[in-house]
Amino acid sequence: MTASLSLERLRSDVAEVLAEEPGTFADDDNLIDRGLDSIRLMSLATRWREAGFAAGYLDLAQEPTVKAWYNLVEAQR
Amino acid sequence: MSTLAENVDVVVVGGGPGGSTVSTLLAQRGHRVVLLEKEKFPRYQIGESLLPSTVHGIGRLLGVTEELEKAAFTVKRGGSFRWGTNPVPWNFLFAVAPELSGPTSYAYQVERMKFDDILLRNAAAKGVDVREESQVTEVIADDERVRGIRYTDSEGVPHEIRASFVVDASGNRSRIHQNVRGERIYSDFFKNIAIFGYFEGGQRLPAPDSGNILCAAFDEGWIWYIPLSDTLTSVGAVISREHAAKLQGDQEQSLRGFIDRCEIVKGFLSGATRVTEGTYGEIRTRKDYSYTNSSFHRPGMVLVGDAACFIDPVFSTGVHLSTYAGLLAARSINSVLAGDISEDRAFEEFEGRYRREYRVFYEFLSAFYDMQSNEDSYFWKARKVTNLEATDLEAFATLVGGVHSGEQAFTNAGALVEEFQKSSAGLADAVERTGSMQTESGERMHHLFGTPVVREVMTEMNNIQVRGVRGADAFEAPLLEAGLVPSPDGLSWTEEAK
Repeated sequence: MTASLSLERLRSDVAEVLAEEPGTFADDDNLIDRGLDSIRLMSLATRWREAGFAAGYLDLAQEPTVKAWYNLVEAQR
Repeated sequence: MSTLAENVDVVVVGGGPGGSTVSTLLAQRGHRVVLLEKEKFPRYQIGESLLPSTVHGIGRLLGVTEELEKAAFTVKRGGSFRWGTNPVPWNFLFAVAPELSGPTSYAYQVERMKFDDILLRNAAAKGVDVREESQVTEVIADDERVRGIRYTDSEGVPHEIRASFVVDASGNRSRIHQNVRGERIYSDFFKNIAIFGYFEGGQRLPAPDSGNILCAAFDEGWIWYIPLSDTLTSVGAVISREHAAKLQGDQEQSLRGFIDRCEIVKGFLSGATRVTEGTYGEIRTRKDYSYTNSSFHRPGMVLVGDAACFIDPVFSTGVHLSTYAGLLAARSINSVLAGDISEDRAFEEFEGRYRREYRVFYEFLSAFYDMQSNEDSYFWKARKVTNLEATDLEAFATLVGGVHSGEQAFTNAGALVEEFQKSSAGLADAVERTGSMQTESGERMHHLFGTPVVREVMTEMNNIQVRGVRGADAFEAPLLEAGLVPSPDGLSWTEEAK
């Protein structure tokens, strides 16, 4: 189900909601320090849920890094 | 006397938040909208504690964010509850964690005179033809559909307006809603009345919770304590309807008595004086306020806000349900007037979403009441979900099943009670894990937000906030089975792109 959610896709979606270029943040950067707020977190959760990634807003909030989120995606494959 | 007749796209009856919301969002699509309000604004209203989706979602769609900021309302980061087994108040905060308490995780406590006036003036500024002191006297309808209304203006001159749609946003006391046909079903479970007044000089919760609503349970019910300014506090007791006769007598003494028997509020008000003059000088009561209509629309007419339904005020849902319905109605009417979606399909979406929202709050609030256990109290014993009565379950099945809802109706009363008990247990458990306010765990809402019933309650409120903040970039999947999705501007419906 989560086949469409590559690491690249996570990075580019995050970059889009943060209005930054991909590559300006590291996979283990705490995204809250990069300006991620609850609204942006919610919109990522909704978007990824459509792609079959069953993690919700709260799961993402636990550890807000691209790396941690990709581990969650992997765990669901 | 001859009647002056006009033709417009939509007539909205009522200038509260629901009416202002729907009319503004219709005018933004270029439709000709007349809003009729029977009073002259600003006017008093109860329902002062807001939720973030109204402020940051609806507020942004209406383009009123800066004006609300300028009004300098009390900032509310959530609710504090002396409720359930914990003797110390605990917090239900809007932000899941302190580090995520961004610019959208708060709401306001508002003097409704000011808040409602801002929304109504904004409607006029956005192109709505607002007519105050205009009393609707009649809905014009034939077998097929509603065609318009008749009203009397401030000079007593009768008018007639023909419209493609009539929106009834005229509140809980108006009778216009009867024109959609169907009946108003009152809740036996939330069979409460409220008696309320205003105090100067009441104590505040410690920062950063000083702007929170405080809801405190006591033997005979619960009390709301809403900080409207640094010194003005709205205080109301929600008690059993059996007290109604008593309240006909000395209201001051009744309200004082309830306050004196609610320890925390009594302490907070020990150095305060009740306001006895002006708008806030009156002690008021409200009864029979939890109900839902069996139908929310018929061809040509739709109900929004208290005209359609209301539920117990413990979680500040009044203005949310009204403005949410205003948004849904605007989306449906905009879609039909544009010729994009059939009226049946557009209003199936309206009614399905509106009923869903009412249902999830109903379940949440039933669980919330169930959490407060007090074996010695008639009030609380009667408000355990195991005591949900047949009539309430029937009403609930009607509103969940609705004629138009795509959701599956509960047919088995026992299964329904079981589900509510599960919700209540989950909520109680999460409250216990969260712990008292002003502690580290009490600042983190993961447990509460993680319970299924709270997730359901948050779904649409989150969607609206994301829509308000992210605009066309917001992504929304259909909420209902085979349902519609909002258009990119959020003002109408579209079929889901496959």
